[in-house]
Amino acid sequence: MSDNPNDKYDVVLDHEYDGIQELNNPLPMWWLWTFFGTIIFAFIYWIHYSVGGGMSLDGHLQAQLQQIEEQKQLEAKNQPQKNEADLETLPKNAAVVAQGNKVFQMNCANCHGDKGQGGIGPNLTDNYWIHGDGKMTSVMATIKDGVLEKGMPSWGPIFKPEEIEALAAFVVNLRGSNPANAKAPQGEDKGS
Amino acid sequence: MERKLEKFFYDDNIVKMFIMATLFWGGAAFLVGLIIALQLAYWPLNLNLDFLTFSRLRPLHTNAAIFAFAGNAIFAGIYHSSQRLLKTRLFSDFLTKLHFWGWQTIILAALITLPLGFTQGKEYAELEWPIDLMITIIWVVFAVNFFGTIARRREQHLYVAIWFYIATIVTVAMLHVVNSIEIPVSFLQSYPVYAGVQDALVQWWYGHNAVAFFLTTPFLGLMYYYIPKAVNRPIYSYRLSIVHFWALVFIYIWAGPHHLLYTALPEWSQTLGMIFSVMLWAPSWGGMINGLLTLRGAWHLLRTEPIVQFLIAAVTFYGMATFEGPLLSIKSVSALGHYTDWIIGHVHGGALGWNGFLAFGMIYYLVPRLWGADGMYSKKLMSYHLWIALTGILLYYISMVSAGITQGLMWRAISPTGQMTYPDFVQTVNAIRPLYWVRVFGGLLFITGYFIGIYNIWKTIAMGKKVSPVEQQAYALTFKDDSNENAHRKLEGLGTVFTVLVLVSVIVGSVIEILPTLSIHKHLPQDEQILPYTALEQLGRDVYVTEGCYVCHSQMIRTYTPDVIRFGPSSTIAESMYDHPFQWGSKRTGPDLARVGGKYPDLWHYRHMVDPRSMNNQSIMPAYGWLETKKADFYSLRKKLSVLRTLGVPYTDEQVSQADIWAEKQAEEVAAQLEKDGAPAGLKDKKIVALIAYLQCLGKKAKTGTDTSKWNNFPFKKVAGGEQ
Repeated sequence: MSDNPNDKYDVVLDHEYDGIQELNNPLPMWWLWTFFGTIIFAFIYWIHYSVGGGMSLDGHLQAQLQQIEEQKQLEAKNQPQKNEADLETLPKNAAVVAQGNKVFQMNCANCHGDKGQGGIGPNLTDNYWIHGDGKMTSVMATIKDGVLEKGMPSWGPIFKPEEIEALAAFVVNLRGSNPANAKAPQGEDKGS
Repeated sequence: MERKLEKFFYDDNIVKMFIMATLFWGGAAFLVGLIIALQLAYWPLNLNLDFLTFSRLRPLHTNAAIFAFAGNAIFAGIYHSSQRLLKTRLFSDFLTKLHFWGWQTIILAALITLPLGFTQGKEYAELEWPIDLMITIIWVVFAVNFFGTIARRREQHLYVAIWFYIATIVTVAMLHVVNSIEIPVSFLQSYPVYAGVQDALVQWWYGHNAVAFFLTTPFLGLMYYYIPKAVNRPIYSYRLSIVHFWALVFIYIWAGPHHLLYTALPEWSQTLGMIFSVMLWAPSWGGMINGLLTLRGAWHLLRTEPIVQFLIAAVTFYGMATFEGPLLSIKSVSALGHYTDWIIGHVHGGALGWNGFLAFGMIYYLVPRLWGADGMYSKKLMSYHLWIALTGILLYYISMVSAGITQGLMWRAISPTGQMTYPDFVQTVNAIRPLYWVRVFGGLLFITGYFIGIYNIWKTIAMGKKVSPVEQQAYALTFKDDSNENAHRKLEGLGTVFTVLVLVSVIVGSVIEILPTLSIHKHLPQDEQILPYTALEQLGRDVYVTEGCYVCHSQMIRTYTPDVIRFGPSSTIAESMYDHPFQWGSKRTGPDLARVGGKYPDLWHYRHMVDPRSMNNQSIMPAYGWLETKKADFYSLRKKLSVLRTLGVPYTDEQVSQADIWAEKQAEEVAAQLEKDGAPAGLKDKKIVALIAYLQCLGKKAKTGTDTSKWNNFPFKKVAGGEQ
């Protein structure tokens, strides 16, 4: 419209409403091309994502999740597996237990009590275990996968592997600490 | 033909009344906004009172800002300018008064019912069915009065401001009626006929276009009258008016699904919402250009005239907001910004900057004229209002955009092995709490400006001399032959045809987007379908809606990696197929709840509801202590389930006729377990038990799931050896 050289600027039309007049200026070129540009973009975008084979949101999500899964497996392969004996030394390592305590206070104390004495969740300081045998590997598994039907969330997606180890070390180390207001034993006696 | 000179008076009294209402309700909306901003920064201000809790007050704030403040401002401006642009008095003095008092009654009803928890749980459409009916009636009164005025006009052609008013009236009527189709279950409760994804789509078609046709088109109309009047310059381009008006009206209606990007809404619909939002950029800016360039030759007024400053600042904010809107509608940008405070910043740029400043500019223009004063009492105070409020808006906007982007980035911070950098949701809330205080300060400045304005207006009115209505003269309308004019000019002389064309423009996009979704649940494969809520769960869901949990918690895990890692598999269409209303939410001040079922023990929920800090010491959630003392209304369930069944939820006859027993039995079991685990006795008939039952079933209603509760199979078949 406005590329017509015959377009005259600031022509006052014979419209008048309560004293308001109107000019008949052409549409600004940059505005018009912005409008056309967005329409062209919209058209191409629509074609691409409807018939042009553009990746769907779900396709995108699955690809990313798969990438994460592959990366996880790669790291697991590269990381030497600690054997049970190595793991069982951790509860005696004060630095690891201190790190575990920190994670425990932030995430677990609400349900298990600040000293592991139990609350919403079971007492962690006695010899009785509901899931597993109270050894490092079984405590780690419970933390990682949770026990959903009992309300223990799975913490695997939240904690790093070394945090889970430290946390388990802290919990195993709690045994026999005999805190005040301890919750009654639940589960089976696995001995000390 | 001889033209007859006619004499008449304008009705300016109604304009004064609507201005007073605007100022009064505006103050209320701003104050409630300040209170809820404080509650987010400092949770103890929820005061443990149900009717003052954030989730009850936030809907009151949004409704007051939109329908009370902006609404009354629109009516004042439309009634003032239309009489002058059409050269006639308003159609009916009776309808005018009915419109005013009816609208104020609606606002009053909202003010009472929303804090008491009577809500439909749909944003900006929370008001319950009797109030919805009142809104419909009063809107029809407004429409009859307005179109009657057009019919009696003494001006052949309709000016661009009138076009925008027409678009407002017909489209808001359509949006309100379609989105409010609901079936009452009691005097102040109803269920919408739509469920899940349908409800989401209809709601955001409504919600987005409430912004378009309640907060944009009427204000553009006001701009087209008050800017040229204030600066005494002609409109920059009539051609631009035509192009941007029709483009805006046609395109805007399609953009709703941009509120639902990455959700369970079918992707083609999301894509339509996005591309139409992008195409909306230029038509929106057409209005801004016409507003700003009308000042050519009068730019000096921007240095000296606060009214002009208000109007131009408003148009500038309009330009900013309508650039940011399309930007946020791009899928990948929405992935970051959705559910965060960025959106809150965006709407306040529009509401405070565009609507607020335009309303104040218009009011400053009108008050001296209507109350017979020679200009406002103090120009200096107007300037103070402008600059203090402007600083306030900028602080508000910048703090909320920063908060939104910060939190959005924290949510998506994930290591290559899928480890979240900030796994605890509350960490991401804590990071932005200082910005909540900046927002409070910004809001405080905006309100300070408002009070300066009130003082100035009060002094101006006190200064005014009594004005007696001025007799107007105009020739009776005789249609001049305009066949040599262009087609649009001819159309401007045909009010009815014009209105019909506007209606057609807004219906096209609506039908194409909404119609296919209405049958979507029928086409779901059997094995993807879910079980309806048990009676107790449904009762808990009603508690969830009443308390306004959706204000801070979404129930929609997006098809988006960080969402899936944090909250679990993305939500499906089937999972909300029995949700009347949908509760997908639009903001995550707390975590998503779509799969919270079974994540924590019942006792955790009990303690968390009564005192959130006992389960997460950094939580900013209000305590909902009254849920453990207030009784749940089991008896209402028969009616509720029977209504839900007529809406397509597959309850059996026995389930409906024994709904209260069904709920009571399940409640007894939940309460007994709670008591055994350490909660107080006697919770079985309390709201908290119903709410816990509801929360614990979220994400677990799949028919093929392994973890389905026996309560889904009520009534239990008698088998040998007692109950199943």
